[in-house]
Amino acid sequence: MDNFKKKFIEEATDLLEGLEKSLLALEENPEDLSLIQQVFRVMHTLKGNSGMFGFEMIDSFTHEMETVYDLIRNGKLKATREILDVTLAAVDHLKLLLNEDNYNDPEVIGNHKELLSKVALLVKGDSASEQNAHADLNVEVNKSVEEKGEKTYYIFFEPINEIFDNGTNPLYLLDELHDLGKVEVFAHLNKVPSLNVLNPEFCYTYWEVIIATSASLNDISDVFIFVEDDSTIEIQEIADYNLLTDEIFIDDLKKLASTQNDIGLSSVQNLTKEANSRKVKDKIKSFNKDRSTSKETSISSIRVSADKLDILMNLVSELVTTQARLSLFAEENNIPGLLPIAENVQKLSRQLRDTAFSIVLIPIENMLTRFQRLVRDLSNELGKEVVFVTEGAETELDKTIIESLADPLMHILRNSLDHGIEDSDVRVKKGKPKQGRISLKAYYSGANVMIQISDDGAGIDPVMITEKAIAKGIISPDRKLTKREVLELVFLPGFSTARQVTDLSGRGVGMDVVKRKISDIRGEVEIESEFGHGTTITIKLPLTLSIIDGLLVKVEDTHFIIPLLVVDKIYAIDHEKIKKTFNNVVVLDGKQIPFFYIREEFDLNESQEKFEQVIVVNFEEKRVGLIVDHVIGEYQAVLKPLGKHYKNQDMISGATILGDGTVALVVDTNKIIKLFSKHEVFKIKEEEKPEK
Amino acid sequence: MNQENLSKINSYLSFKLGDEEFAAHVGKVLNILEMTKITEVPKAPVYMKGVINLRGTVLPVIDTRIKFGMTPTVYTTNTCIIVLDIDVDGESIYVGALVDAVQAVLEIDKNHILPPPSIGSKYKSEFIEGVANIDDKFIMILNMDAVFSTDEITNLRDKTEETEQTTDIEEIGS
Repeated sequence: MDNFKKKFIEEATDLLEGLEKSLLALEENPEDLSLIQQVFRVMHTLKGNSGMFGFEMIDSFTHEMETVYDLIRNGKLKATREILDVTLAAVDHLKLLLNEDNYNDPEVIGNHKELLSKVALLVKGDSASEQNAHADLNVEVNKSVEEKGEKTYYIFFEPINEIFDNGTNPLYLLDELHDLGKVEVFAHLNKVPSLNVLNPEFCYTYWEVIIATSASLNDISDVFIFVEDDSTIEIQEIADYNLLTDEIFIDDLKKLASTQNDIGLSSVQNLTKEANSRKVKDKIKSFNKDRSTSKETSISSIRVSADKLDILMNLVSELVTTQARLSLFAEENNIPGLLPIAENVQKLSRQLRDTAFSIVLIPIENMLTRFQRLVRDLSNELGKEVVFVTEGAETELDKTIIESLADPLMHILRNSLDHGIEDSDVRVKKGKPKQGRISLKAYYSGANVMIQISDDGAGIDPVMITEKAIAKGIISPDRKLTKREVLELVFLPGFSTARQVTDLSGRGVGMDVVKRKISDIRGEVEIESEFGHGTTITIKLPLTLSIIDGLLVKVEDTHFIIPLLVVDKIYAIDHEKIKKTFNNVVVLDGKQIPFFYIREEFDLNESQEKFEQVIVVNFEEKRVGLIVDHVIGEYQAVLKPLGKHYKNQDMISGATILGDGTVALVVDTNKIIKLFSKHEVFKIKEEEKPEK
Repeated sequence: MNQENLSKINSYLSFKLGDEEFAAHVGKVLNILEMTKITEVPKAPVYMKGVINLRGTVLPVIDTRIKFGMTPTVYTTNTCIIVLDIDVDGESIYVGALVDAVQAVLEIDKNHILPPPSIGSKYKSEFIEGVANIDDKFIMILNMDAVFSTDEITNLRDKTEETEQTTDIEEIGS
């Protein structure tokens, strides 16, 4: 059962996410019927499933929401902002309700009640605003949906004969019952005596009433409050739902009433039982119907557990490693026919690798809804007008990357909203459009995915940043920093630029955390900002985390792999030339290129070879040469972690196993160059650490 | 086999570093490998010898001698890599330990393991689980988790600490 519950929660989470998306879209196009349908459907599915798995609070809650959207669907209500606000709040609440631990949280329960009353208000507000002419229709709508708390009662009412003497008209009492809910009245005249003994001032009629109402038993007996002393009144609950929607039940009642003198409680109860069993059958039927339709729509995709995908990815990695061994073996042993096979296996494993990767890639659209919601809610809260534009939502990324990306992106967006976008009057004064604009753009760039978040807000004040860095002792006052270096300062730990600590951002756990989280997934963050015009933050991410195409090189007798995507060109170079250069710059193709002699940087002896090779790699916007002994060739590297013992060697992003079983190290060129070049800013960071 | 069963076994793998003999509980030992080519990782601490390929995974190899404050291992035909399963903060990590020679698997009854001498030992007691006397030789039974989960060179021989407690410890144990 727990398993099913887990599945339900998973499914419900998906549904709610989809719901949020539809709601936000609905806000843009409140008239879009298909969106309303979608919302209604989600509510309906949630209701059905949650009921099945015992999430009663969700069941009852979605039921109410469903009512609202049913009204909207039928044109009885408009999808106003107010309704959407409540619905979005409801979505949040439902998410909480998915966790059963929250059921005892008084806050959640309070929230639950508050939302329920709000929802009830929405429905009521509707009927009040409706004109009388539509009232009937309206009631119809209300009745077609099972109201929560609606129960069916059996009432036996036999007034004393002298009831008219008090001036009471029993028919008025019946009218009053009509006001309470749906009523089926059976008047019995069998006690009316023959005309010769009939007293015209006596009431001989008695009634049996079946009433379906949300009113309580007390409310019903209140109707009879003035006559209860001298009348026979019996009120009995017969069902905890609206029995009168069941036409067969009513027909049977009528049949009984016409054949017998009176129906009697016991026969009503018998009929109720029959009705109950019918209801259950109906439910099953409609459930089956729901099932079969949903199956038809989802046949194009299947749900696979993430564990299975991980296993698949591991197997593919092993296959690629084994294939490398096969290729090597085929090359070394000249067995006729083996080489083509090895090549074929290589081709297949490459295809398999790409396909397997594409499975775990999911479009970033999946997390955009969350951001849209964040921008909407936050801008409301801050009283700022902001549009959030997304571009390239179909860009796909490894699911593990997406998972670890959500938090940092959220933080960046919060920063933009809180500190970036100015209040609308400030914006107007500055000659900007009143409405702020935040855009999230995702696109492919080689084997990387770039995510760019830009706002047209205030931008970062370089003077303020510098002052602050000096005040905090991060840099010395006489140090001249380039603009880029100044902006880089915001990524340093403990550097929060917000003058005031707000609820949203600026708690000092700012951009440094963002940077760290992104570098955890081998990504990089860059910041650009024009003071007064806005800020752009660019995140560069690898497409996948586990296999990269690399260039296999050798230094001394260690193999290194340089990610192919950063490699620009390879040149052969005379060893003497390197030795003679001054300031570590070589001229290649008429351009000056700074270089690093890997042997020297790794504390190895000078090479005895006459020629070495310069690999020119892209580093930020520059080109930098790395000198290695020689280049072996292209290689598909399955990245393996180096483990905890090497956690401080972050210039090596991992290791891979070569065809001959030895290990090659995968180099992170950016980190290696940064380490070698000992940038001003990076020096600061190193000095910072011991203080902490 | 779960931890409980493992701890009931009284088998220990003994190995040599120089002339001294040590032992590790077999529950910690996964494998004994012959010396293979170790890929050095640049800019790593000296005792981190590098990485090797252990059936498709990358295994860091530690020069146990350096780790224990001795001279670096000189590779001979007897040099072996013991693959250990180390528990670091509740996480199980595999490391390879370079040793001069692997000796034997010894059955040592729990009762024959003496507690580490609290004073008078030349080794830090936190790394020693106990001492066993086998054929008149004393074998140090090491707490592998403690030895290999620290970042620094552990310097098993506690001479560097010239604090009040070390003054009366000087070499009595030898």
